[in-house]
Amino acid sequence: MSLKRYQNELIVLGAFLLMLSMYFYKQHAISSQSGESQRITQIIEEIKEVAALKKVWADKKINKKVEKLKTLVPASKVKWSKKGSKVTALYKNLKPSELNKLTTKVLNTPVVIEKLSIQKTGSSYTVEFKCRW
Amino acid sequence: MENSKELLLVHREIKPVSLSAAVNIMLTPQFYTLKKEVLPVKYTYQAKRLAPSLFEGLLEKEGSYDFLVYKEGESWTFIAYDIEKISEFLHLKGFQQGDVSKIFFAQQSAALFLGPCMLNEKDALVVLDDTVVLVPVKALGEEVSSPVHFDKHFTPKKGISLEGASGSLFTMPQTILLASVFVLFAMMFFVEGSRYGGESQSTEEALQSLYADHPSLQSAYTREGIVTKYREIDQTERTKREAVKSLSSMIFKGVTLTTLTIDQNNVKADFTCSSKKIAQRVEKLGKKAAFKVFKTKGSHDLRMEGAL
Repeated sequence: MSLKRYQNELIVLGAFLLMLSMYFYKQHAISSQSGESQRITQIIEEIKEVAALKKVWADKKINKKVEKLKTLVPASKVKWSKKGSKVTALYKNLKPSELNKLTTKVLNTPVVIEKLSIQKTGSSYTVEFKCRW
Repeated sequence: MENSKELLLVHREIKPVSLSAAVNIMLTPQFYTLKKEVLPVKYTYQAKRLAPSLFEGLLEKEGSYDFLVYKEGESWTFIAYDIEKISEFLHLKGFQQGDVSKIFFAQQSAALFLGPCMLNEKDALVVLDDTVVLVPVKALGEEVSSPVHFDKHFTPKKGISLEGASGSLFTMPQTILLASVFVLFAMMFFVEGSRYGGESQSTEEALQSLYADHPSLQSAYTREGIVTKYREIDQTERTKREAVKSLSSMIFKGVTLTTLTIDQNNVKADFTCSSKKIAQRVEKLGKKAAFKVFKTKGSHDLRMEGAL
């Protein structure tokens, strides 16, 4: 059997096989890209989330921010105790405005609030605050 | 339709041709091998199956032969031909692709060769024992004076086509068209495939850039540990702050917050309300914010409790 006799079929077959192989190449590229891309996207999302969470809850400037809670009201009204990354504070005789200022500041400071106790005594407030970071 | 085309008698000594339209050709015995047999078969396809064995030892081994088979009276006529050699010869003589519509064999029109058919000055076709043969003109006697006129009336009913005879499913233009379409699609698929590969690379580059900024997060275990730790803190602390905000929104004219306690698990708040109406309003707000609301008997004081 001579190949020349079937040259037309061979040319068409060759071209068809080329098309078929390129089709499978494309499909492979799509599926591998999809799987790989999904994996990479997930890692990127994780890293971004970790970075965002660390930025908030492991802020390197947190010490300074916590220190501001001490100076927010007159020193005579504050009993401040700091040990490592823990603070225990007792605020006495706070006016309502001072209380508002203090609670707002506490809530905006990225620390773990272990205890926040507000007690109204007469016309003033007593606040007990424990936090860590 | 095929009969309306000009019929050329093609022999080895034919002069090169230049055609403007497709023609039919009739081949002299120089291009085929003939055999007649009486066989106990009914159908042509059965006879055709036997053809190769009938010609065993008669044909050149290196040739690639096809067979034209038809019945004449009681016997079967077998014509063996090598289409490749025929094509090559035709090409040599100036026949181009598409010039030849159908190919016939002189034997098919044996009945019409009533006299000698002069091919050239040397050779002529004659019929001997119902077989068309090539003889030298010199061998002809008086017959030479009454040659037959060869024209398209010699065209038999059944012929072969160059492409069909070669067993090809496609003509050359069809082949080119199909191959071009397939190659075009192949190129499109390749380009698309490459593009997907490129996209994957850009995502990978983005990841490497992030790794460079946060080298400690390359490990999945490390990431998972950190995410779990901070997610929990984030969720709990946000809940605490949301609770305080909700309770703050309940302080308005006629409402006084007397105590507020937040620890790791609970939030509690006591309110003193100036009237029943205000107490009801605060109660409603408390319930809306999903707090448990407790009333104190004999007063308008309310206690709100919530779990973190």
